[in-house]
Amino acid sequence: MGFGDLKSAAGLQVLNDFLADRSYIEGYVPSQADIAVFEAIAAPPPADLCHALRWYNHIKSYEKQKASLPGVKKALGKYGPADVEDTTGAATDSKDDDDIDLFGSDDEEESEEAKKLREERLAQYESKKSKKPAVVAKSSILLDVKPWDDETDMAKLEECVRSIQVDGLVWGSSKLVPVGYGIKKLQIQCVVEDDKVGTDMLEERITAFEDYVQSMDVAAFNKI
Amino acid sequence: GPAELALLERALGLREGNKYGVQGERKVPVLQTNNGPGLIGLVTIAAYLVKQAKKGQLLGSSAEEKAVVQQWLEYRVTRVDGCSGKEDTRIILKDLNMYLEDKVYLAGNNFTLADILMYYGLHPIMADLTVQEKEKYLNVSRWFNHIQHYPGVRQNLSNVVFIKNRLYTNAH
Repeated sequence: MGFGDLKSAAGLQVLNDFLADRSYIEGYVPSQADIAVFEAIAAPPPADLCHALRWYNHIKSYEKQKASLPGVKKALGKYGPADVEDTTGAATDSKDDDDIDLFGSDDEEESEEAKKLREERLAQYESKKSKKPAVVAKSSILLDVKPWDDETDMAKLEECVRSIQVDGLVWGSSKLVPVGYGIKKLQIQCVVEDDKVGTDMLEERITAFEDYVQSMDVAAFNKI
Repeated sequence: GPAELALLERALGLREGNKYGVQGERKVPVLQTNNGPGLIGLVTIAAYLVKQAKKGQLLGSSAEEKAVVQQWLEYRVTRVDGCSGKEDTRIILKDLNMYLEDKVYLAGNNFTLADILMYYGLHPIMADLTVQEKEKYLNVSRWFNHIQHYPGVRQNLSNVVFIKNRLYTNAH
């Protein structure tokens, strides 16, 4: 955990990314965690780090009440993204065995905040677990998805394709390739686990978006 | 309508269950008070409940904050409730996402009735978004996730899940 050096641009960037989908450093209310990080920052973050700036201005508005905010200030290395290595020496998510302990029940009665945190860590653990390489056969597939005509909304078509969420399927980058008469096809990359996702199933799911998709072809298929 | 007002009553800590009716084709909620004419309309009744609960600060503190709260309450009944279809939804989410970039709450730094009613109004929309859409409207997701954790607000509404590890960091 930790943000690195919060007096450096790199540290502020980590803070910014961390705060993109969070209102506070910890949980859903302002706490000593926010004060601890606030005090470590030299000046308001620049405007391009909009999430850090939003958070900074918000915490500044609590300046008068900062002593009465809940929680206890911890070392800066205890806050921040879980997958950044904690350089202060207390390991958190680095090993599998430690993960099991994370969602063992706490001794104190569990506040709603703690419960949410536990659920989030559980989700993180599950997603990390599912990303582990092990010996899973995977393939990289390049798909050509063709619309009906040049009036088809290709952004919506892409959205439909990407909305297909299946275990063992990860969408990659895509581009639009002109095929003549003003028509563009969507060429999109994906990585699949062979035993979970096949091209038949992909074709079935993609062509189900009949309003946008005329057909789907496999442009390239590579084992990885 | 009435169901939402019941949620609001509980969120405000009011115990007395008021009785609500509906009127008209649009099923506008009506509250019959003991003295005087009935109160008509979600925003009118909601503001009345806030005063009843003695939580006037939820309507805004400064003149500007009060105006901003009113702005979003109006937005809720005109744009969100009147929303039909994917295109309307997209515009609402885009507007809101831009607006929330530098704000924690709709009125800026303070939690108000605007956050509560916009949360209730947007709940069905947010519940249906894909993972990618939630990431696309990142500020809306952040705000929504925050409000649904605010004590007493969510109650029996479903918890909309926002995953922490963002998948599409290179998009938009």
